[in-house]
Amino acid sequence: MKISFRCNGKPMQLEISPETRALDVLRDTLGLTGVKEGCGKGECGACTVLVDGLPVSSCLLPAAKLEGTEVLTIEGLRKPDGSLHPLQQAFLDEGAVQCGFCTPGMIMSAKALLDETPRPQVEDIEEALSGNICRCTGYGKIVQAVMRAAEKSEEGRHDG
Amino acid sequence: MYYCIPRTVNEALQTVAEHPAGAFIAGGTDLMILISEGLKKPDGLIDLSRIEDLRAIRKDEKFLILGSAVTMRQLARHEDIPLCLRMGASQVGSPQIRSVATLGGNICNASPCGDTLPGLLVLDAEFLLKSLKEERRVKAKDFFLSPKKTALRTGEILVEVRFPLIKLTGSSGFAKIGQRRGQVISQVNAAVWCTLEKESGVLSDLRIAAGSVAPVPLELTALEEKLLGKVLDDETIEGVRQVAGELIAPITDVRATEEYRRAVMGSLIVDALRSALEASGRWKGGNK
Amino acid sequence: MTGKELRIVGRRVRKVDGIELVTGQAKFTADMKLPGMLYGFARRAGQPAGKLEGVKKDEALKIPGVVDVLTAEDLPGPNLIGVLPPFDQPVLATGDIRYAGESVAFVVAETREAAKRGAAALDVRITEVPPILTVDEALGDGARKIHENGNITFSRKLIKGDADKALAEAPVVVENTYETSFQDHAYLEPETDLAVPGGDGRITVYASCQSPFHLRGLIAANLSVPAGRVKVVQSNTGGSFGGKDDVAVEIGILAAAAALRTGRPVLVAHERGESMVGSNLRHASRITITTGATKEGKIVARKIKIILDGGAYASESPFVVMKALIHAAGPYLIPHVFVESTAVYTNKTYAGAFRGFGVPQVTFASESQMDELAAKLGMNPLTLRKINALRPGDATATGQVFKQSVGLLQAIEILEKERLPEKPEDPSDRYLYGTGHSCMLQGISNGAEGVDVVGATVQVSQDGSALVGLGLTELGQGSRTVYAQIAAEELGIPLETVTVRQVDTDSVHDSGPTVASRSTTVGGMAVLKAAREVKESLLDMAALMLQTDKKEIYFQDGFAILSKNPDARIPLREVATAAYWTGHPLMHLAFSKAPEAKYDHDTHQGSIYIAYNFGAHRMSIRIDRWTGEVRVLEHLAAHDVGKVINPVGLEGQVEGGSLIGYGYAHMEKIEESRGIIRNANFADYAVPSIKDRIPTRTLVVEEANPTGPYGAKGVGEPPVAATAACFANAVSDALGVRFTRLPVTRQDILRALQSGAATHGGDKNG
Repeated sequence: MKISFRCNGKPMQLEISPETRALDVLRDTLGLTGVKEGCGKGECGACTVLVDGLPVSSCLLPAAKLEGTEVLTIEGLRKPDGSLHPLQQAFLDEGAVQCGFCTPGMIMSAKALLDETPRPQVEDIEEALSGNICRCTGYGKIVQAVMRAAEKSEEGRHDG
Repeated sequence: MYYCIPRTVNEALQTVAEHPAGAFIAGGTDLMILISEGLKKPDGLIDLSRIEDLRAIRKDEKFLILGSAVTMRQLARHEDIPLCLRMGASQVGSPQIRSVATLGGNICNASPCGDTLPGLLVLDAEFLLKSLKEERRVKAKDFFLSPKKTALRTGEILVEVRFPLIKLTGSSGFAKIGQRRGQVISQVNAAVWCTLEKESGVLSDLRIAAGSVAPVPLELTALEEKLLGKVLDDETIEGVRQVAGELIAPITDVRATEEYRRAVMGSLIVDALRSALEASGRWKGGNK
Repeated sequence: MTGKELRIVGRRVRKVDGIELVTGQAKFTADMKLPGMLYGFARRAGQPAGKLEGVKKDEALKIPGVVDVLTAEDLPGPNLIGVLPPFDQPVLATGDIRYAGESVAFVVAETREAAKRGAAALDVRITEVPPILTVDEALGDGARKIHENGNITFSRKLIKGDADKALAEAPVVVENTYETSFQDHAYLEPETDLAVPGGDGRITVYASCQSPFHLRGLIAANLSVPAGRVKVVQSNTGGSFGGKDDVAVEIGILAAAAALRTGRPVLVAHERGESMVGSNLRHASRITITTGATKEGKIVARKIKIILDGGAYASESPFVVMKALIHAAGPYLIPHVFVESTAVYTNKTYAGAFRGFGVPQVTFASESQMDELAAKLGMNPLTLRKINALRPGDATATGQVFKQSVGLLQAIEILEKERLPEKPEDPSDRYLYGTGHSCMLQGISNGAEGVDVVGATVQVSQDGSALVGLGLTELGQGSRTVYAQIAAEELGIPLETVTVRQVDTDSVHDSGPTVASRSTTVGGMAVLKAAREVKESLLDMAALMLQTDKKEIYFQDGFAILSKNPDARIPLREVATAAYWTGHPLMHLAFSKAPEAKYDHDTHQGSIYIAYNFGAHRMSIRIDRWTGEVRVLEHLAAHDVGKVINPVGLEGQVEGGSLIGYGYAHMEKIEESRGIIRNANFADYAVPSIKDRIPTRTLVVEEANPTGPYGAKGVGEPPVAATAACFANAVSDALGVRFTRLPVTRQDILRALQSGAATHGGDKNG
């Protein structure tokens, strides 16, 4: 079947087999390999992308469901000038990245949170990231990074 | 494989009549795993998630009506929804799953540990099932037959879930426990709905249901009867904790032992009661 | 100003390879897609023991898209892997099936789905044999032999003094037996290798792996080609923790063999379930300890028997046996020690390397017993540890004496200075509170496991930037950042101008495996030496240019600077360019060789490791006696790390390692029935989520280690053991009952409370 959607701001038209997972379409067809597969069962969060602004496990999403949606992956997060998104910068600055395999999904979940709740409490962060497993960091620095990004974005709003 | 995106319930029913080997898909978070593991091989998918009627939450004169394709995320954030259902919905899977997983999916999947199911029982929910030939309403308590088996017939769609508006006047709550805190399948869950007499705090009405403690979500009627007319003081609470475990029929599986399920049952019911009453400042459970 | 003080080492710096990771640009193995690439999928035995009677390929080959099926006979080499003797593991099963996850055939197809369908369609005939599932069965009289040589994989003894005699005379004796379960690494990226046949008779394997040279050697051997024909490139690796070694070899061989047969690239990407059933776990164990002490609390002797369940194959069992043996007595001065450590075969998923490597098991046992001893003596548990703590100049269990860098006492004292968290006002009797301590040591370097050498190159380009190469791998732990800091520090150049290269076996020196918390210590030392050699060469050049003696020059911020007159400076790029054109060498290969272990093989007395990391942890918890749920209120992790190179990386290692230790002690349990793992997924195998995180606070002791760069010693492994041990002690403290088995889950806690075993907070009516 044919599907049309927007991915990282660009219009896409693809011929897909409907049971194909959105994950495979994003990775194999569109080359967006920042979307990771860690478990294939929606249990680790590494494949998280935003569909119409909501975090979704792309490994559980049939590609057919992308029809008419707006998809954002980690690749679409950098600003047009190439500079890092505040979340990416904060993950880097705070040491919230070790092996980096969970990082894209983690950042996308955090993005969904900050879009809705610009000044989150620690509990909000824990709730929003509860579907993303990280085995390296112990999570403390991830929470700090999201806090830091929220502060930075807030400053940006006040400054700008 | 075909993929249909019907816009109305009738269109969906006609599609499945033409393609009896097709499967309905809503959020797809359970179905996709079955398909990728080869455990289900439908010849096509009929996507119910874009039927506007199924995505609505509305009220009529007597009922609160939830479309079956309402997502867990919607449920968890909607202020009209009683807490026992909202809290259950807010703890299904992960945020990523709750973005797409639907109430209808949780119901029709009929897992004994489904986190919205005990809430539906205590709310006296009714399910509207539609086929091309007829439509019928089945009570939540009659819908679940055994793990993964329901009263839904081939060619039928679960269209809506409704419960009486009067239920909104009571307090309700939910509690669950799993192997970890985040993104976890319930080892045991519990939902309660109750009303208290204004002055005395005596339980004038009470419903209690639990999940993952029997082949189907289970209402604990014996415990309800025992508690009616009582005040939730320390002694009553201790009583709930002691007896609840005897009223269920749990098994030992990979997630928990029968023994543990029995041991925590009462505590979870108390925690669900607390979540029901604490919000309105009516928790009189003493120090517990 | 002399440029002597450290400017980059010791500073909080960002991960040098972090930008690619936060932007999703970093390529992991499964992110590579090559023209004509095939997908491989193994058919597994599915039962824990049996005789493989045969595999019929026909049905699989009929599946559309299936290109080839390999069985043991199709492998060109000896069909044997293992990272050390006895090399007892086949790549594909031949006769005996020894565990359920064993690969019996390998299907390659145009798509992953077709390969999977093909694997399912194979006709595999296995005659069942009753599996041996416990160490007791395996060691029982007349037990079936899982391997030709019997069911004992490896066994060693440590003998110091006369423990039996000392125990007989000891005024106070405690004895207990402790058990631990298997643990899965659960790195987020499942194991993945991609083999690409070259046109030149070589084959390149891109691998998510820990030790590329292990892969190269074993792939070459199993293809029956010289090692040089195989090039292994370590892709970005999504976590390893010891785990991506044997299994990376196994799938590397399968991919390479299939690639050679088909002439096409072959990708093997494990699914999560395969990662859990088909690659090594942490050894389960049973440990009996007897400790004798004086009435004043001075330990006089320990006698310890360790049995490790190593599952179906040896893997790293022999080395884990030794590590457990050497560490079992704990970080204490004990005159008489006897330890016997044995690994046993069973028909279960094999056990091997996992962060801590035998030390978490023995530390849990040893530290539990320290608390039991303290209770018997009526002594504060931390005081007991302090009395017995190793001090500089004391002999370890192996009789090795370190004159410096023994910072255990300082670590304990840091804990003593920290006030205990206040118990919140809790009018209910719902919660129980407890605090636990643990002390530990962890040997740094390969130690008794073999000579420890790292070769590193540092190459300065004409623009003054540097390229560092060595065979130790970045697995997320931040070693590239540490190497870059060291090179930048030594060369006086900005950190951003240092690049640490990807490890590929054509281009870097075989530096041994990335294990044993040795990267910073031994690897860092090699980088430091190589950088200094290049610097000498640049100093020679700069001396010519500044017309002075090179002793008068230092490098800083990318300049060669005259000590007497810091305004006299030349950019290093000019020095480097001049050096290039005048033939001053700009690249050096330097070796760091750790002092060799020298010990008696019968008693394990002698010098084993080049240093130990010492740790003291404290954890305070709250237990919900209704559900068994635990909240960690505080976790202090004090470690003697010699010298901090990058505080951010250090904290990351301590926090991450601690949560793995917590998962090990409280949440993670391989559920297995009749030899089949039943929870091979992240829903049922409870890896801690962000809501389960613990508030670890890293506390640092810096007792300089003369064998490490700037005095540093590694910290990758130690937090796992210390955290697990102090958690168990905290729970035991809260409940007033000794838990002797890890994990202590919510279910175990509630059982103890309801059965009346707990002396605190039990249900009287339960």
